[in-house]
Amino acid sequence: MNLMAEILIQVIIAFLAGSLLLGLHRKIMARVQKRPGPPIVQQLIHSLKFFFKETAIPNTVSKVFYIGIVFILALIWIVGVIAGPVAHDSLLILFGVYAVYKIVEHNAGSSSGSPYGKLSCVRAVLSAATELPLFAAIVLVYLITGTMNIGEIIAYQSVHGPLVYSIPLAALMFFMLIITKSPYSPFAITKDKVLISGFETEHFGVLRGFMLFSEAIAWYVLLWVFLTIFFGPLNAVGYLIGMIVITFITGFINATTPLLSPNHSVMTQITIGAICFFGTLLMIFTGVVA
Amino acid sequence: MVNQKSLCIVLFAISTIAILACLVINFEAWIVYAVAIFGIPLWILSLGLLTMAKPKPEDAEERVKEPFTGY
Repeated sequence: MNLMAEILIQVIIAFLAGSLLLGLHRKIMARVQKRPGPPIVQQLIHSLKFFFKETAIPNTVSKVFYIGIVFILALIWIVGVIAGPVAHDSLLILFGVYAVYKIVEHNAGSSSGSPYGKLSCVRAVLSAATELPLFAAIVLVYLITGTMNIGEIIAYQSVHGPLVYSIPLAALMFFMLIITKSPYSPFAITKDKVLISGFETEHFGVLRGFMLFSEAIAWYVLLWVFLTIFFGPLNAVGYLIGMIVITFITGFINATTPLLSPNHSVMTQITIGAICFFGTLLMIFTGVVA
Repeated sequence: MVNQKSLCIVLFAISTIAILACLVINFEAWIVYAVAIFGIPLWILSLGLLTMAKPKPEDAEERVKEPFTGY
């Protein structure tokens, strides 16, 4: 197939599947909290609806930066789609994508003149703590498989079985990242309701629609990477079931867990990350993991 | 506003042509990746800025004025 056609198909799948999964996430949270909740397609409809809504640029924003940052947000997650589902390239690219995502959160907040955005921008620096467990998980995958290439990791698992059985604590660390990125997460300090919508508060209309588009792709890419590097070679049905199950679990966790304060959020993530990292190292060097 | 609209039309046309060219012609992979990474977000953003509804002229000032005064 033509490479551009493949990229376009993957981006459309990521957007549609990501939007529906985020809609399902909201529905699950609502049902756990005994509310009817919005329809599952609501997230998708919102993303499209915003493209036709009235949009004005507030006087207090840095205009180029304010528009440019949503462009960069979409750009990095399209890099994620290319490095992941399309090219099966290096995990380090995806780590870079996630690192830049944190910078985007920071700058989206600072480009607006809103105090809510600025406070969220400060918290984005703290929330970069999630990158440490992510990097640790990638290092552990490398120690076991000897490669960071996603295609080679899939090949390794087709011979030796899914990595989740050999390094479950590394999978747990990665899963914590997914919880962090999920909506209404206990670790989502940048989008605390005290800050309205955090760094997105001043981005409305078409720019908010564009952000929702990118976030749907981000959710799909994160779930795809987690399933691919820990659950071995999967077919389309396997990915679908896996993504729905993870969305269900994160929805249940987020519906029943209050938002942590910024310092508790960082300490919890670092602590879980450290326990999982040293636990896995112990398993490797004591011969528990072959 | 007129400048923004003209810029959006130009960027929309450039990104559309670049994406279509990559669909029709088999360029080297790095060229296709570069077009996809910059072209797809540019296409969506420029399309969105063209399709968005604008405020009425009498409401325009009200929309961009921040209600906050204390920071």
